[in-house]
Amino acid sequence: MALKVRTPGVFTTVQDLGRTGHQSSGFSPAGAMDYRACMLANFLLGNDDNAAVLEMTYQGGTFEALRDMTVAAAGAEMQMHIGGVPVKTGTAANVLKGETITFGPASKGARTYLAVRKGFNIEPVLGSVSTHTRSGIGGYRGRRLAAGDILQTLPEEAAYLADKVTDIEEDDEIRVIPGQQYDRFKKDMDQFYQASYQITKDSDRMGFRLDGPLLEAEGGHDVLSEPAQLGSIQVPKGGQPIILLNDRQTAGGYTRIATVAMADIPKLVQKKQGDEIYFTEIGVEAAREAYMSEIRRIKNGAYLEPDNDFTVHRRRLASKLESHMKR
Amino acid sequence: MEIEEFSENALTIYMGEDVDEKMNRRLVSLKNEIEGMEISGIEEIVISYTSLIIYYDLFNADVSAIEAAVKSIDTDALLQGEFEYKIVEIPVCYGGEYGPDINAFSEDGLSADDVVEMHSNTEYIVYMLGFMPGFPYLGGLDERLHKARLSTPRMRIPAGSVGIGGRQTGMYPFESPGGWNLLGRTPVHLFDERRETPILYQAGDRIVYRSISEDEYKEIKALAEQGEYEVKSQVRSEG
Repeated sequence: MALKVRTPGVFTTVQDLGRTGHQSSGFSPAGAMDYRACMLANFLLGNDDNAAVLEMTYQGGTFEALRDMTVAAAGAEMQMHIGGVPVKTGTAANVLKGETITFGPASKGARTYLAVRKGFNIEPVLGSVSTHTRSGIGGYRGRRLAAGDILQTLPEEAAYLADKVTDIEEDDEIRVIPGQQYDRFKKDMDQFYQASYQITKDSDRMGFRLDGPLLEAEGGHDVLSEPAQLGSIQVPKGGQPIILLNDRQTAGGYTRIATVAMADIPKLVQKKQGDEIYFTEIGVEAAREAYMSEIRRIKNGAYLEPDNDFTVHRRRLASKLESHMKR
Repeated sequence: MEIEEFSENALTIYMGEDVDEKMNRRLVSLKNEIEGMEISGIEEIVISYTSLIIYYDLFNADVSAIEAAVKSIDTDALLQGEFEYKIVEIPVCYGGEYGPDINAFSEDGLSADDVVEMHSNTEYIVYMLGFMPGFPYLGGLDERLHKARLSTPRMRIPAGSVGIGGRQTGMYPFESPGGWNLLGRTPVHLFDERRETPILYQAGDRIVYRSISEDEYKEIKALAEQGEYEVKSQVRSEG
């Protein structure tokens, strides 16, 4: 059975960890922007880390459970209520058939991931259920969710899960690897590393447009088109950098000053418009180590801890669910 | 050959400066060589104009092993040996509502018929794909057909539109805004997930446009919507 969308929120899509292996045909990888929060929401439920989740941006939606189910949200703080009772982001909770799950505006961070135990039942396209709205591929009909949509979930059994996500405190430092045309920006490099850059309103799943000191490329800002990586910071004529993200075009023809380290992507994508970041340099080998250790930390449970906040609400739901299941 | 790293999970290999058929063939051969080595952990190799990039899975690949394997390839020999590619025929209904800009070439002394004749009797090389799924960056456009993009881009270009932007010709697999001069439209679904190969061509292949009537356009469109139109393509082998 299923989860029904009552209100979708500002921009809510189905995502997993992305569509790899088809960039040579021009397919953007898409996928959860905050891969860590996506994985943690799934781990809270004992799911595979790549199970489909709903990515909600800035303002979450309202969903009706069309069956009993267990859900978890991780990522930005968007006050979740289940059947009218507040539930903390970063915990698993049982939902009874007919109850609604509501999310508020993001009070900390920008993107929240809602996972259901066992995952959503969605047919993958080229190996992934991630939605790429610009080409209308993947997820729920290739588009963002709308009121009335019904998402099928896979059958599950009642489960009681007792972990929560640890508090993750983030600063504004974004580490970057020197990019393809790093040398063209020698003159402005100090500026790039010393100044703050603000995330503008023209920022979405495709990329973050920044506002800060202008960067001028010696020899021009246009280059032959070549593949664009996650986190590539391109600088077109005009001098304001753009960080390319999950829904980016697979190739681009602007100079690239640097690439955001993959380990810092979760931190970056939880920034909102108006937030400021600053860049520091990291070598590619160190960045590789940082990313691998981050993934190991996520997988080894470093971000999970026992949930001792055993609220009346959750106990009620758990026991009610159990008795319901026994009937 | 220069090997560079700009991100944790990718090696970029630059092969020179020239954008031409020879460069493309070297890159395709290099890609085939690397794939033939069956190095573990490689996710994908993506070709562009003068370089290729190897994306790999950090947890299943050894970067230095990939690098060593690439360095062991004799790049001087890349143009030797057999080379295979596909020639894919894309039917296009030129002019009319499908190609509203075809008459704009009259200012260059070319009638609509001239444009069709020149545009459809050429083999275009697919240098790379990007911009959107299945969008080919093609080489080989007749110089007389080079034409600056529209000063005001259209808000909506229908999927299948075939056009010219500057020195390039190409087609839009998906509806999109854009500033290209539109010559016509293909009824073929350039992306179709029902097909075994959702995208019909890859870097190194050739595309030929065949001029069709509006009646044929409608016939093919009906078949394509059912997933029953088979695009003509043949494999060519060069020694």
